[in-house]
Amino acid sequence: MNLRRVAAVASKEWRETVRDRMFLSLAFLIPILWMLVFGYGMVLDVENIPYAVLDRDQSALSRDYLYRFQQSRYFDYKGMLQTEGEADALLAASKSRAVIIVPEKFQERLLAGQPVGVQTLVDGTFPLRSDITKGYIIAINAAFSEELVVDYVARVKGLPHARARALVQPVKLEVRYLYNQEVKSAWTIAPALVMFVLTLAPPLLTALGVVREKERGSIYNIFSSTVTRLEFLVGKLAPYVGISAFNILVLWAMAVYLFGAPFKGNGLFFYATALLFVFITTGQGLIVSLLVGTQQAAAVITVVLSVVPTILYGGLLVPVSALGPETKVVAHLFPAMYFTNIVHGTFLKGVGLEVLWQDVLVLVAYATALLSTGYWLFRKRPAV
Amino acid sequence: MTSTVHAPMFQTVWWRRLVVMITKELRQLFRDKALIGFFFWAFIMDVYLAGSGTSMQLVNAGMVVHDADHSVASRELIHRFHLPYFRFDGEVAHPDEGVRRLDFGDVVVLLNIPPRFQESLASGEATAVQMQVAATHSPQGLSAASYGARIVGEFGREVSARAMGMAANDNLSLPIVRSDHRIWYNPNQDESWFMSISEVLTITTIFSVLLPAAALVRERERGTVEQLLVSPLTPFQIMFPKVVAMTLVILAGTAMSLFGILHGIFNVPMKGSLLLYFVMMTLYVFTMAGLGLVAATIATNQAQVSLMTILVMAPMITLSGTWTPPEAMPVWLRDMMLLSPLHHFVTISYGIQLKGVGLNILWPSVLAMLALGSSLFGFGIWRFRRQFN
Repeated sequence: MNLRRVAAVASKEWRETVRDRMFLSLAFLIPILWMLVFGYGMVLDVENIPYAVLDRDQSALSRDYLYRFQQSRYFDYKGMLQTEGEADALLAASKSRAVIIVPEKFQERLLAGQPVGVQTLVDGTFPLRSDITKGYIIAINAAFSEELVVDYVARVKGLPHARARALVQPVKLEVRYLYNQEVKSAWTIAPALVMFVLTLAPPLLTALGVVREKERGSIYNIFSSTVTRLEFLVGKLAPYVGISAFNILVLWAMAVYLFGAPFKGNGLFFYATALLFVFITTGQGLIVSLLVGTQQAAAVITVVLSVVPTILYGGLLVPVSALGPETKVVAHLFPAMYFTNIVHGTFLKGVGLEVLWQDVLVLVAYATALLSTGYWLFRKRPAV
Repeated sequence: MTSTVHAPMFQTVWWRRLVVMITKELRQLFRDKALIGFFFWAFIMDVYLAGSGTSMQLVNAGMVVHDADHSVASRELIHRFHLPYFRFDGEVAHPDEGVRRLDFGDVVVLLNIPPRFQESLASGEATAVQMQVAATHSPQGLSAASYGARIVGEFGREVSARAMGMAANDNLSLPIVRSDHRIWYNPNQDESWFMSISEVLTITTIFSVLLPAAALVRERERGTVEQLLVSPLTPFQIMFPKVVAMTLVILAGTAMSLFGILHGIFNVPMKGSLLLYFVMMTLYVFTMAGLGLVAATIATNQAQVSLMTILVMAPMITLSGTWTPPEAMPVWLRDMMLLSPLHHFVTISYGIQLKGVGLNILWPSVLAMLALGSSLFGFGIWRFRRQFN
């Protein structure tokens, strides 16, 4: 490998990139803009659930009960209904996601020490949202019931309140959240977004860069030159890896300073693995670009290959442990999952190579396999 | 010869030009073997994989227990943490070992049962069970805590009922608010419905923006657009067939995943009108194609247009309500998403497929999409004309 020829190819590629102002600015802007929009927007916290109320009892106790929903930041009050028909229409039009129906004799029965069923209609189109909504409603009901029962037991058995409370609720569950004490989804998402952006942007730049030469025919200049395959590939990829290497720093800084994600691990370890990951995704882009003939195909294939698996199996929204058996196999085939482990490990858990060595090893294997496949696929004398 | 004779002839020529151009676009597209192969992968395999095994809810969360009591009561409580939510992964001798397992990430929950657990229950002292949850994935962490609270609450109620001398299930004589839920539109909470529909929307979006945009810029980049411009074709006749051809292909793709995967494998219902669904899908593809065309008139080469459309498209796909609940987004971003055609199409698509509603309810979303689509398309054509006249 002649380093001067590599440098020549790299500087040619760099100039071409720099002269296309739009391409260049997009290459740097895309990671920043995505990080901004996704960081603020990809919120998995289920909050502000629009809900409506049908109060058939209209008593002091039912108002007290419903007030708890109004106070909760998880619910967003949309109004009082008169008939159940209105509830149907509201849910069908997606104007509210839940309707709470308080039955007649709510107060009368509860004060008499009898149970009451409160019906909630929940829009089930988005199962994550409906599941969490259901959980919130159950929690509010449980808290409300507990007070009523404690009052009731204290009254009936003539016990002091504290004693009645111990009798009614003998076991408590104390929950402690590790790694993300306030259970903010931003802490989960922001580090994972570093992974997401690094899966998407580098292969796109690379694939477009290589196919551009193929489609325009300028690659024949390379075919007829003294540059060897390896020199060409190294020189060609260097600028794109360089851009991404810089972007890693920007993304990291945004995750930490803008979104407040904690970084507990070793910065050098993180940077090294992120760079390794960039090599992998760049290699992906390279292989796509060698297999297709048009930039149109290159763009579509890279996007579908990167967006879909990272959202679904990369551990961005769905933890890999929650995947079904088939999908879990697929998840292990894409490199994104391993890097997510590293990102979450270094950001939130503060662990390093001693825990994450398996993931690092897999990534090294990927990088070697992808780049050598790319080298093997690239021919200076194409068959066609 | 009067003009009344000319008019139909002129019209036939106009239509025939359109048909010829559409055929040209389709041929060009089908010759790109890599792209077509990928088209099938996306509309069939991707949709299948998305629906078959991804779950955002808490399922199969690994749990280890540190049981310092080893009594009947502690075992009874542990047994209540079961699948589909929790997967019992054995006991640990020391809490530190449990934390290490959490570090490795193969378990999500560590349950700590204190010594003298059973004794405290029997003597009526208040006691507590600790649960440590790895919240690296916040929704699952929250769900784990919420299910845990429900399980422990239920356990406690039964213990207290026994202590008060009632049968375990006899809640009849206590003033309790029972939660009766009715989940509408997807009563079994089958996530494959939501996931596969979302995936179809995602794939459709990618193809309907990128294909026409790239097709238009390619002609310009290669210079073949000059040939078209010296022909008797109007700019509209050059641009429109591209969109029509791509729309036809994309509609075929959605039909494939709708009938083959969604109905065939996941039993996703089509509660509303199938015709309305496809009309709306066409409108959506046109709208997104309009976005692609606008980008194509701004960019000068394919690399630029790809980056530009992807820049706009990725947030659209992820934030319009296909993958995350839009209600929790900050208000400024929620307002911005009103500009995303996908945001409206999500309402329409779930509305028709799962809720079975029609235009009488969906009209605001349809109108919004029409407005966005026609302005994007109009702007695109205007710019294209201006560039070549």
